[in-house]
Amino acid sequence: MTVAAAQPAVPARLPRLDWPFLLAAVLAIALLVTLVLIDGQPVSAALVLFGFALGAVFLKAEFSFTASWRRLITSGQTDGFLGGLLLIAIAAAAIIPVAALAPGFGGAIAPLGPSLLIGAFVFGIGMQLANGCGSGTLYTAGGGSGRMLVTLVCFIAGSVIGSLHLPAVLALGGIDPVIASAYLGPWGGLAVTWASLGLAAIVAIAIARRRGAIVWPARRIVIGAVLIGLLSIAVFAVGHHPWSVTFGFTVWGAKLATLFGMDFSAAQFWQWPGPKRALADSILSDTSSLTNFGMILGAMAAAAATAPFARTSWPPLKSLAAAAIGGLLMGWGARLGFGCNIGAFVGGVASGSLHGWIWFAAALGGCMIGIRLRPLFGLSRE
Amino acid sequence: MAMRLIYAIVIIVGFAAILADHLSSPSSGRPVSPEDFAGACAPCGAPCPSTQKK
Repeated sequence: MTVAAAQPAVPARLPRLDWPFLLAAVLAIALLVTLVLIDGQPVSAALVLFGFALGAVFLKAEFSFTASWRRLITSGQTDGFLGGLLLIAIAAAAIIPVAALAPGFGGAIAPLGPSLLIGAFVFGIGMQLANGCGSGTLYTAGGGSGRMLVTLVCFIAGSVIGSLHLPAVLALGGIDPVIASAYLGPWGGLAVTWASLGLAAIVAIAIARRRGAIVWPARRIVIGAVLIGLLSIAVFAVGHHPWSVTFGFTVWGAKLATLFGMDFSAAQFWQWPGPKRALADSILSDTSSLTNFGMILGAMAAAAATAPFARTSWPPLKSLAAAAIGGLLMGWGARLGFGCNIGAFVGGVASGSLHGWIWFAAALGGCMIGIRLRPLFGLSRE
Repeated sequence: MAMRLIYAIVIIVGFAAILADHLSSPSSGRPVSPEDFAGACAPCGAPCPSTQKK
């Protein structure tokens, strides 16, 4: 009996709406926007809505750093990687000059040292085990993957643990951020950043051609990169700093831990002015939390608008274990490495900060280890 | 447990938690990130190595 014969003879149906989850996502986003508008915060409302758009675009474009980096490593395929570089080039066009010239704006910068290297490397291992990075975890969890809900919970836990370790690892040493615009001015910094992106693209394309792999991104990836790049600029324009994801997770986890009696008053990280304020204030006062909430709900709305939501069955336990371990490693690594693919790599390089490229190199090394570990959890290396 | 049911619970509990936190915590006006504060040298608000040595 063929597979076709085993299927019931029903006419092909158009994708249908999943009304309960679509309504839940739209209602939740409307309530969040209303809450912050009642507080007189149109900026917060804008961040939630830009996050919503990012979630929808990521999901519909299937924009993935994790899978594209894996394809780059295993087969030399550069399509998704080039999409990421295009996204950064677009964001840099606004972030570098505005951060250097406009008061109140700033780029994503970070010190260079062991903390950055260790954190990014561990993050790279985690992203291949979890099968998603910071943004990937948000949009796939929002899009109906129960496996990535597990990753999200463990990402949050790992980032709180990382926040407790970061000061000790920072004490190992390091140097202050190196920012291109500080040496070359805003336009020189932008030119050098674009040149570095071009060089990375040339090297990747040369490797792909030598290995006979796919080089150029599909239209879906190009459109996704352009839209995500423009939305990154929009987040920067209203938030005054490049888009980031993982600090929000750390705040969520710390607030939950506090609820269960954990005391962070002796933790050095939580005595630094920014984290201390974030822990005390409303979660809707934190820029990364606002875009994160929007992104989860945007992905949920986009997923529920085209197909039944979360109808798949749970994956095998080994796969769930990889999701959990990957989430923990990413959370811990993101705190030590000053962010994820978005906050450290996209935000860092688009700000002309050297730490963005160092993060990329260390995370790519971690990905190579993570890819080797995937078969232990029943996951493909491809 | 069915994945849809888990999602329904996560949405309801998550939204209730956001609402409870928002209503019981001060709002600082304009949303902020740790980089907005003096001495921040990273997106999480970590200080610069040069200031840590002092």
